[in-house]
Amino acid sequence: MFIQISRPPATDNKLTGRLLLEQFCCSQLPMLKAAATAGVLSTLFICVMWITFAMLAQAIIVNGEQISDQSILITCFFCAALLRVITVRLQTMCGDTASRKIRADMRREILALWRNQSPLVEHQQSPASAATQWVEDVEAMDGYFSKYWPQKILAVVSPLIILCVVAWINWLCALLLLISAPLIPVFMILVGMGAEQLNQKYSITRQRLAGHFLDRVANLTTIKLLNGEQTIFDEVKSRSTDYRKVIMRTLRVAFLSSTVLEFFTSVAIASLAIYIGFSLYGAITWGPAANINLFSGLLILILAPEFFQPLRTLSQYYHDKASALGAANNLVDLFNSQTTAEVCPEVPPINSQKEHEIEVPARYQPRLKLDNVSIGYSHETVLAKRISLNLCGNQMLAISGPSGSGKSTLLNTIANYVKPLSGNISMSPGKYPVTPIAYLPQKPWIKNASLLENITELAPNTNKEDILFCLAALGLSDEFGTRQNVLETPLGKHSQGLSGGQIQRVALSRILLNPTPIILLDEPTAKLDVHSKALILTALQTLKKKAIVIVATHDAALIDVADSCIRLDSIGEISHAVLV
Amino acid sequence: MLYWFRALYGRHLKRISIGVLLAFTAAYSGVSLLILSGWFITATALAGISISAGIIIVFDMYMPGSGIRFFALSRTVGRYAERLYNHDTILRLVAVFRLTLFKRLSQLSFSELRKTSDSEWLSRLTADLDALDSLLVRFTITPIVLVLVIICATVFTHFVWSEYALSIGSYLLACGLAITLVTIKKTKTLAYKNSRLLNEMRANVIEHLQGRFELKSRMLMQRHERHVMTSLESLETVQTAINNRIANIQLVLDVLLMAGTSSLAIIALMSVNLGQIEGPIAVMAVLMFVSISELLQVLPSHFKQWGSTSYSANRLSPQVLDSPSTSHASIVLSDSDAITVLINKHPNINASLVTPLTFTVTGKQIVVVSGQSGAGKSTVANIIAGITNSSVQSDGDISIVVSGDNTSYKLPPYFSWAKLAYLTQSNSILAGTLAYNLRLGIQNVTDDQLWQVLRMVELDDWAQTLGEGLYSWLGETGSQLSGGQSRRLTLARLLLRSPDLVILDEPFNGLDKRMAHRIWLNISEWLAKRKVIILSHEFPNKLLQETETNHIKLNL
Repeated sequence: MFIQISRPPATDNKLTGRLLLEQFCCSQLPMLKAAATAGVLSTLFICVMWITFAMLAQAIIVNGEQISDQSILITCFFCAALLRVITVRLQTMCGDTASRKIRADMRREILALWRNQSPLVEHQQSPASAATQWVEDVEAMDGYFSKYWPQKILAVVSPLIILCVVAWINWLCALLLLISAPLIPVFMILVGMGAEQLNQKYSITRQRLAGHFLDRVANLTTIKLLNGEQTIFDEVKSRSTDYRKVIMRTLRVAFLSSTVLEFFTSVAIASLAIYIGFSLYGAITWGPAANINLFSGLLILILAPEFFQPLRTLSQYYHDKASALGAANNLVDLFNSQTTAEVCPEVPPINSQKEHEIEVPARYQPRLKLDNVSIGYSHETVLAKRISLNLCGNQMLAISGPSGSGKSTLLNTIANYVKPLSGNISMSPGKYPVTPIAYLPQKPWIKNASLLENITELAPNTNKEDILFCLAALGLSDEFGTRQNVLETPLGKHSQGLSGGQIQRVALSRILLNPTPIILLDEPTAKLDVHSKALILTALQTLKKKAIVIVATHDAALIDVADSCIRLDSIGEISHAVLV
Repeated sequence: MLYWFRALYGRHLKRISIGVLLAFTAAYSGVSLLILSGWFITATALAGISISAGIIIVFDMYMPGSGIRFFALSRTVGRYAERLYNHDTILRLVAVFRLTLFKRLSQLSFSELRKTSDSEWLSRLTADLDALDSLLVRFTITPIVLVLVIICATVFTHFVWSEYALSIGSYLLACGLAITLVTIKKTKTLAYKNSRLLNEMRANVIEHLQGRFELKSRMLMQRHERHVMTSLESLETVQTAINNRIANIQLVLDVLLMAGTSSLAIIALMSVNLGQIEGPIAVMAVLMFVSISELLQVLPSHFKQWGSTSYSANRLSPQVLDSPSTSHASIVLSDSDAITVLINKHPNINASLVTPLTFTVTGKQIVVVSGQSGAGKSTVANIIAGITNSSVQSDGDISIVVSGDNTSYKLPPYFSWAKLAYLTQSNSILAGTLAYNLRLGIQNVTDDQLWQVLRMVELDDWAQTLGEGLYSWLGETGSQLSGGQSRRLTLARLLLRSPDLVILDEPFNGLDKRMAHRIWLNISEWLAKRKVIILSHEFPNKLLQETETNHIKLNL
């Protein structure tokens, strides 16, 4: 259970969780309606079934007829029973199918949204919590689509059908049902509002209590090293008790709403039974009581619970709705961010063979031009103003400056992960910002897969010979060589643990194997040992002959390799690059 | 799963029995309400006809009437009480499960504990714990209540229609039992697979998102999505299969119950024809069957959770969580003891591959282990601290020998120091107050002492700026602190103790050199009395110029 932070209510033009759910229903509306229709049919069949049963009972018990003479009614009874079962199955099938398709659509859409998002959102939301949205939150909507949505229609239509049947027999009983029916939602809403208030009142306490256990488990090593286990045992125990008390306080009210339903159902059955009984006995003579016989009395009695059943089912599914709504509220920010964002760059079609390579004519000179660019994350916190750069032809530019001066931000701006606050960026070949750019961040990404997969994921269309050659040049073949096949070396979680230098070199190999016209490197030699650093410097010597390489660094050795260097100082103003 | 069932019944048998009783009351009141009403209507109809035909009969209208009102009320109240009571039990249960789990986790060896700090693992843990409430609600209360209701109904029917009572009861029981078993059998594997796929998908998504920084600028994100899409497709296949199976099982159950209802209706009416039973009894029997059928309907949806629950239970099972040996020898050191460490051919320590790495720690000089990143400094620290199981190496070996004035003994593969202060490379601050973080695991520390150690690490000024001083809450994960502040706080935590052995892994990470120097001077008195090992990427010349050191270099 992840802590769900309640979000501020959405404004008019933005999606809310409820709207999001409705929007996704649209694509599967026919299927959902089919589910509801099947549900309505099953109500009809159950009416037919009980009508025939009541007729049989009247004929045999009161009129004393022989059951062998009632073959038509018996056949109807069986047929209705069978059809009822089949329609229920159909309803489930349609609901499940719709839900499955909607969830798949939603997941695809989220993937697309992620594709267009700046990777820097990672600072606000960890990949693990985003993955929770994609997996658990979307999964939590299953019940809403497959059950709650069709039931929402059924809860209105089915009671109406039954009401019609009852009214046809006895208007007074129908009136009784009709009066009790609207009362139920009123009471439920009242109780629900109370529960909601309580829920909000305790939500912070609940979040803290829920987070407590996870925090302590996450820090168990520290706790053990400090000999604090006993303290924490007692704490876990007392916190769980507190948690239970808080939850029970809300549940006491929350359960009232289903109790209201339960109460109305019971009271309706009881009062109908007593009214019918007294009418049959002859104790009540006014109104339509005189027309009641065993057939009508029995039928009304059996149909009364069926009248409330759809509502009761709906309230059972209410939990599904609540969890779906909670999940949708978690997702809504993601969907809203997209609608407000600018139209995002198109992704090249996936099927084209050469999608990831831009054909660079042999004598073509890559260009990168920054024109009076200001960088930063908002206009209040501008990191550097009026940066102008004009890089033409393969070369290496170093960006230096104290930490916090905006080196990484400048790289992020060139990569289009942050929009420039002002000014223009242009590049060729290709067009900013749709040109692929190789970007090596400070903490490179290592996939939980083999070395080969780690390389080909970012350098597709590379053959094994090239890869082996590149790995040898970076000294990785020797280091992984103890294993039989270098390319099959497992990396990521299963690996024995790579050193920081090895990770940097693996990541660099992906760039060497698939260089783009413009390459961004963020502190590629920081915190590295001498051995790795030397290998990386050599590799950069070759790389700078193939592309415009921009390196953010404060490593003097790396600045020496660069052809030119600009410095962002803490004042944050530079006019233009000085080429060495 | 058996383990958790036992944990459940072992502790809460009384509560479970009461919960079952309440649930039974509610369920049986519902059944009674309907059958009594049916009987009442039919009986009054017959009585009414007799009266209008001029026959004088004695019929008590009021007994059944009040019976109906009673059941209407007991059903409502019973249901509310049952839900409340059983939810309380569930929460108690989860609390017990949490504590059990926490105690077991705390017995894990340090190397296995490492994975517990992974947020991925943690969310899985909570999800698994929450899933265990099925054990009570779905797998315990529902079946027991159903069996009780069927038995009671059968006994009752026996008095009014003895010929068929047993058949009705055993038919209902057989239906319930068969459906339960079939549901478990048919969905167990698939549900298990479903849970596994969801996890796999999660891992894939996390990986995809982690790679986004490098993938996006290269326009390769869509290509990489294929891994996620593959797992999504297999998930859809499995879910379709599960849904179909459940729906089919439900269909079979519905058919069985409908067939039962129909046949019973026909048989009951025939018996009325034959004069075996009265009309009201026939109607009552049919309505009883119908209302119990409704209770049975929930079985497939409850027992389809069996697979996912057992998946969760298995992951929390003792075998998975228990370390091979949890008995640690706790080593007590005396001042004159010396610790000799020998590490040979450890795969993570390159320096030990050619010649064995060996050094001795005494109280007289500080041991400084230096080396580049990746040289294995933290591994050395973990080995000495007893955190890394030192018996895992295949061709290498590790020995730690404690030698005192008269004795000398080698430490077992699993051991722990009675008094160790180990500053690990990562800073972990618990969600709690500043004082709580400092006091954890030690008693009788005054506020003055806390201020004193904060002064030693130059955090006193900062602590004074906090709203509630020592009792200020340090975020959910201590996020209000900068890296340097967390480092100093974790150091201060150790200064309150009096350990025999001190291991400091990169103690001044994230601090500037001048502050590091000042703090070093502040803590050197505390260090002087103890055996100290410092691990650092470079030899801290300036700090240690007046200290006697033993410098070990780890070269690649």
